[in-house]
Amino acid sequence: MTGGEILLRSVGVLVALVLGATLTWRLEPRVLESAGVTELGPAAGTHPQGPIGLAPNPDVWLYPAGPIVAVLGVLFGAVVIPLGPDLVGQDLGIGVFYFIVVIDFVVLGLSLGGWGANVRNAAEVYYRAVAQLVSYVVPLGLAYIGAIMMAGSLSTIAIAQAQEGLWFVVLQPLGFALYLVTGAMQAYRPPFVEPFSRHIEHGVYGSSAGWQALLWRLSMSGVLLLVAAMGSVLYLGGWNGPLLPDPLWMILKTLALMVLMLWLGARFRPLSTAEMLALSWKVLTPVGLANVLLVGGLILLGAGP
Amino acid sequence: MIPSAYAVVGLLSLIATAAALLLAAVYHPPVEVELRDSAWAQYRFGFPVYALIFLSFDMEMIFMYPWAVVFANLGLEAFLDMLVFIAILSAGITYAWKMGGLEWE
Repeated sequence: MTGGEILLRSVGVLVALVLGATLTWRLEPRVLESAGVTELGPAAGTHPQGPIGLAPNPDVWLYPAGPIVAVLGVLFGAVVIPLGPDLVGQDLGIGVFYFIVVIDFVVLGLSLGGWGANVRNAAEVYYRAVAQLVSYVVPLGLAYIGAIMMAGSLSTIAIAQAQEGLWFVVLQPLGFALYLVTGAMQAYRPPFVEPFSRHIEHGVYGSSAGWQALLWRLSMSGVLLLVAAMGSVLYLGGWNGPLLPDPLWMILKTLALMVLMLWLGARFRPLSTAEMLALSWKVLTPVGLANVLLVGGLILLGAGP
Repeated sequence: MIPSAYAVVGLLSLIATAAALLLAAVYHPPVEVELRDSAWAQYRFGFPVYALIFLSFDMEMIFMYPWAVVFANLGLEAFLDMLVFIAILSAGITYAWKMGGLEWE
């Protein structure tokens, strides 16, 4: 790869993510409001001009570092999302594994920025975001594993190519359902909005203005976009589809999955952190383990590509 | 091969950080601020520190699995790679320890 190509790919990923996140930011509140959701979570919106609550002595490094780290997390994740067989930031061999790791920079950013703000409502985000991470990581990882087993690869390109004939959602409906729930947790979308609850002034949003507010907006819209995009790659065949060009299929599937997740989440009342932890460890994790065995059995019986 | 595969990620992190700092330098809307009390004193820091240390070591352990599989074939090079990785993590835990992160207040 030449230097020019590396630059082109980097800027391409940046531009694609900013455009996609902006679209998400415009679309999401409408979907939620039409579904009658009162606890909007990250879609409640940031306040670049305030009013914000600020402590006399926020941490000099952590407070501004928070939104930058969160934005880097979604940008790193966007690198491996393919819009077509050749249209990807970089086809890393360990694609989805890399994605799971780097997307958690969002949690790190929330933790740094929330704790660093030194305001009670923002510091609360630290606890809630880490507890949410402990809830979703294991069942989310298990939801990935089903697709990885059938594709026999960690590369996002290979996983989408493996679904040319049949999408994995047909063979693994349980894994797809698990992804819908844990994906909403990862993206802090209803009903898992505790770190952005209005009872704590929407968490970090209530203590960030100006450029920090803009970066939080980008990262929190971006994380929903990426969760939906990864769901499309893992279970809906990525760019595969008749007639329409590849990138269009990928974008349509991502948006459709996003709307489905929001619409389903809107059916339930917001869960407290304790309820979410219980749901994760008592229901989702056992279901995820069962799904791995189920998919293993299906593959042994000759299902899949 | 590894450096060129991750060149896009590396350059992207530079561009994004530069863009964020640029935004921070030029975008200063008038902001309405309410002064709040400092919050740190009200919180116990014990649990989240353990949670974060757990995460970094959990990840380290996961990376060691594939490394362990190919270690015998790759030899010294793989050993040195892992040495760097362990050194970084050891520096992290030493720092957390020194700052009192491993004491349950």
